[in-house]
Amino acid sequence: MEQQEKEFRLNVTRRHFLTKAGLGLGGAALGGLLFKDQFIGANDQAAMQLGIAQFAPKAKRIIYLFQNGAPSQLETFDYKPLLNKMHGEELPASIRMGQRLTGMTSNQEKFPLVGSTFNFAQHGQSGAWVSELFPHMASIVDDLCFIKTMHTEAINHDPALTFFQTGAQQGNRPSMGAWMSYGLGSENENLPSYCVLLSRGRGNGQGVYSKLWTNGFLDSLHQGVVFSSGEDPVLYLNNPEGHDKQSRRDMLDMLAKFNAESFENIGDPEIKTRIQQYEMSYRMQSAVPELTDFSKESTNTIKLYGPDCLVPGTYAANCLLARKLSESGVRFVQLYHQGWDTHGNLEGDMRMQAEDVDRASAGLIKDLKQRGLLDETLVIWGGEFGRTNYCQGKLTKENYGRDHHPKCFSLWMAGGGTKPGTIYGETDEFGYNIIKDPVSVHDFHATVLHLMGINHEQLTYKHLGRRYRLTDIAGEVVQGVIA
Amino acid sequence: MMKNKTLHIQILGALLMLLQALMLVVSFASLTDIPQWLKLTGNLHPVLLHLPISFIILLIPISIFINNSKHQEAYLFNLFLHYTALLATITALLGLLAASSNDYDKELLIKHKWLSIATALLTHILIYIYQYTSHDKKVWSFAVVITAITMIIGSHFGGSLTHGEGYLDFNSSEDKSAAFKPLTDSTLIYDDVVNAILTNKCLECHNDKKSKGGLNLASFAQFQKGGKSGAAFISGDPAKSLFIQRALLSLDDKKHMPPKGKAQLTEEEIYLFKEWIIRKADTAIRFHQLDLKDTLRSIIQKIVQIKSSVSATKHYDFKKANEDDIKSLNSPFRRVLPIDVNSPALVVKFYLKEKFNIKLLEECTPIAKQIIEINLSSMPVDDKVFELLSNFENLEKLNLNGTLINGEKLGSLSANKKLAFISLASTKIQAKHLYSIGNMSSLKNIYLWNSQVSDTALKSLQLKFPKIKWDIGYVPDDTELLKLTPPTVSNAEKMILNPGEQVALKHPLPGAQIRYTVDGTIPDSINGMLYTKPFDISGLTQINAVAVSKGWLTSNSSNFTFFVKGIKIDSAIIINQPAERYRANGSTALIDFNKGTPINLNLNWLGFRDQTMKAGFNFNGTETISTVVLSLADNTGAYVFPPEKIIVKGGLNKSNLTTIATIKPPQPTAQRNAGIIPVSVNLIPGKYHYVEIEAINVQRLPNWHPGKKEKGWVFVDEVFFY
Repeated sequence: MEQQEKEFRLNVTRRHFLTKAGLGLGGAALGGLLFKDQFIGANDQAAMQLGIAQFAPKAKRIIYLFQNGAPSQLETFDYKPLLNKMHGEELPASIRMGQRLTGMTSNQEKFPLVGSTFNFAQHGQSGAWVSELFPHMASIVDDLCFIKTMHTEAINHDPALTFFQTGAQQGNRPSMGAWMSYGLGSENENLPSYCVLLSRGRGNGQGVYSKLWTNGFLDSLHQGVVFSSGEDPVLYLNNPEGHDKQSRRDMLDMLAKFNAESFENIGDPEIKTRIQQYEMSYRMQSAVPELTDFSKESTNTIKLYGPDCLVPGTYAANCLLARKLSESGVRFVQLYHQGWDTHGNLEGDMRMQAEDVDRASAGLIKDLKQRGLLDETLVIWGGEFGRTNYCQGKLTKENYGRDHHPKCFSLWMAGGGTKPGTIYGETDEFGYNIIKDPVSVHDFHATVLHLMGINHEQLTYKHLGRRYRLTDIAGEVVQGVIA
Repeated sequence: MMKNKTLHIQILGALLMLLQALMLVVSFASLTDIPQWLKLTGNLHPVLLHLPISFIILLIPISIFINNSKHQEAYLFNLFLHYTALLATITALLGLLAASSNDYDKELLIKHKWLSIATALLTHILIYIYQYTSHDKKVWSFAVVITAITMIIGSHFGGSLTHGEGYLDFNSSEDKSAAFKPLTDSTLIYDDVVNAILTNKCLECHNDKKSKGGLNLASFAQFQKGGKSGAAFISGDPAKSLFIQRALLSLDDKKHMPPKGKAQLTEEEIYLFKEWIIRKADTAIRFHQLDLKDTLRSIIQKIVQIKSSVSATKHYDFKKANEDDIKSLNSPFRRVLPIDVNSPALVVKFYLKEKFNIKLLEECTPIAKQIIEINLSSMPVDDKVFELLSNFENLEKLNLNGTLINGEKLGSLSANKKLAFISLASTKIQAKHLYSIGNMSSLKNIYLWNSQVSDTALKSLQLKFPKIKWDIGYVPDDTELLKLTPPTVSNAEKMILNPGEQVALKHPLPGAQIRYTVDGTIPDSINGMLYTKPFDISGLTQINAVAVSKGWLTSNSSNFTFFVKGIKIDSAIIINQPAERYRANGSTALIDFNKGTPINLNLNWLGFRDQTMKAGFNFNGTETISTVVLSLADNTGAYVFPPEKIIVKGGLNKSNLTTIATIKPPQPTAQRNAGIIPVSVNLIPGKYHYVEIEAINVQRLPNWHPGKKEKGWVFVDEVFFY
């Protein structure tokens, strides 16, 4: 279909320049300059065949539980007893090695190391360390694959988040979900292939912006659709009062006719996208209410995700909704949970945040597993960077905080062909530098695409004269996390 | 002209004589002691050699078509012969210099050397043959062919010297990097991994024929022996092993191996060599002997899998289905998708239960052979589906979660010889029916969460059919009591209600009870009113509500404050101006029914600090006023406190007022969360035309507050009269 569109665009472009604009040959030349993509050979956009995996995918769908604000690796999964021993001592310069600091601690005179106030224990066959804040995640560590050596280039939330979601810090590229939708197409044409669910914890929060789920330069068909937490999860999906299904159908048919006509005249591909989106919305009217109605959920399900899951807009409710959307074939469900930015009052904030996400995150994994869906669904849990091993602000007996740290942090993946019960990579005993198996954000993207059956070097889109990839010009598949 | 031509030929002939003599001398001499710069000129040999090769080959077509009776042609051809001979000689000379500086395979080198010298001599001889017997085509052709053959054989040996033997063997041109065999139990770490890397990245220069630095890596024995600089490795000590030392040198170091420009060893590969040397360079270690947590194990997996990851696609014996069949079956309600772009295997999934019809599945029969996965989850199918499903001979995975089946006809699936995974979660499947498929050898996992299968029934299934993983999923722990979420209210965000508007409480858990109070006390599972239907409120109402349900802990109390619109205020006047930053929309802010939030003090609030809050309100005097309610912000962190004192005066006009109430609101005793605190003041009732309120802000903050002794703020957003 995309080829047909391109062909059509080619014709229209020429016709416009030759006849309507009346510019003759000069026009054609100009057309060649302005609309290069339409004047070049077939299948030039992507290096792979779109809409289908290149090799047998291990994961068919992704649920990304993004912990927005960056949870501290030192209070979650990266246990560093040395920090407790050296509590209050200065961070050795040999460890920091001139790492740049954020504006929030660059004026600080002292960098006292601070050990986690929470207890850690090893769990499961894999012996993974998990802090006492996450008892439910601890109970499923043998289904999880921890990467302890993520590192990023950014040190502030917005660029780091944008980097994680789009592979670049600037915010003009398509996000992960849009790339998946572009590369693999939709499984269920009655729902968007990329859905976004937002929730807010009680800790210190950071914003999320629509650029994080943008289609960038890809067709707007691929952009993330945000489900809102109110009574109507998809805004304006219901028929207006006094309109029945038939009148809505008639209206759409008429609208499609008009749109087709204006496409005939103008040839803007966005018009076709618009027609398709109207049609999908019509089918969504049937598909969505069933998914967002939680009133028929069994008591077992409610207990699995926690009673919060019945309150729209909570993290738990979003986890449950994510499972239902994913089960119904949504390629990429992106959650953002705000509140992890623990610059100060870390202890209290971490407790509240953990309370909100622990049960539901683990519940989601158990739920996918008991339905036989975990092996085809990749779940990812993690933030945009790590937190410093030294205290931000004054270290007191009751309180401490941690600043942003890009050089190492932890995340976990589960299902979707990842190796269960794995702990990948190692950080030094200060929890500051990586000593083995670093994983960059590009590597992470390459690995996720690989699990979805895509060679990251071949998922390309030509824009402004160059081919773009999610992994830009870097990225290596991390074989150690693949089953 | 003629003279010039002869001179040209003569010069070339003389030069040729000289160089050929030199060549012959050099070919018998030992060149070990010549200066380095001269040795380096030998590097030009591989550049120049292509010229005489082409010239000699060109001799053949030119000889066929030349017309010797034409003087000009004969002259040019003679000239061409001279240049050919000259180039062949210079190339041979350079080759002799090149041979002196490198460690080449002796046998090959000798063959190459003498055949090439012979070629150079033959080209020289050709000149004489041409000059004296040019009319005898037979002799000439024979001479040219002999020269060409000599040249071809000689240069082939040369090619073998630099590119390795068999470089022209087209059958071996496959990608060398794919040399790893898949990992199995019998994988030998030396033979299958270490040696494979040596073959890929080192053997080109260190083989039987060409052993640079005297090192030959073609066999383990030779690897062990090492080269000129010593043993390649010291068993058990990687740090002292030359092999590792050289690999770790900086890329720009001359001794770094493999040399700059050649394929380098990766970090993992170096790690592998180190580990292997630490383990006494043992050639007998097998992959499966490594401990599961051994890093060497994961490193080897990484090395081997990087090279072979593309072959992840599973092979199927059946052919691809007809493209048009697949296309015609696809709709928004039935998706048929190949596993990947090359695979013949198909996955079928159905969507939207209201559009589902069993025919949608029946229509898939033409492609039944290719379908390996069917997903019917939450579609309205019952046990009749099993007979239909038994036609899908290659089915591996079946999802019937949330369908209407109970399993009576489950036994039909025995026909599906490849079926490995069945999802039956959230169905009415009964344990007794599962026995009908227990003996299927292909079965791996059966998912039974939220079905009729009890824990004890599951245990006996597991006992009887231990090869299958029977998964009943999450079973709640009855001893774990979870706390309910607090009740919510239908119009919580409004806060200001019209008279007669009702309040509705809600809780999402089916069957949960709500208990509530309006008197400020906290309800619990016994105390408080049981909520049954929306109720009326009046004036200022503060509702506390909890949710209660059997098997759950009672929720925390939720608190809702409502202001019902009271006696109509004609107008409001601000007497003391609020602080510059907190003026909202002036005097109307107090009577515009727009509530502020305790966090955002910039919106809808009037804030006072330097002066007390003082405002007047005009009424038409028809209604009796007995209460005033001030809606105040409470945010101790932002220095916002309840007023110290509130004084209310009333009368018929501004100049004739009496005090009708004075109260001192309770003060906080420690930092607390921000909120809205309504303060209700009972007045001496009366039909006032004008009421003046003064709320005096805290003049000295208490000692526990960081701003002790400073003034506190007062924030007001609405005032109601009843």
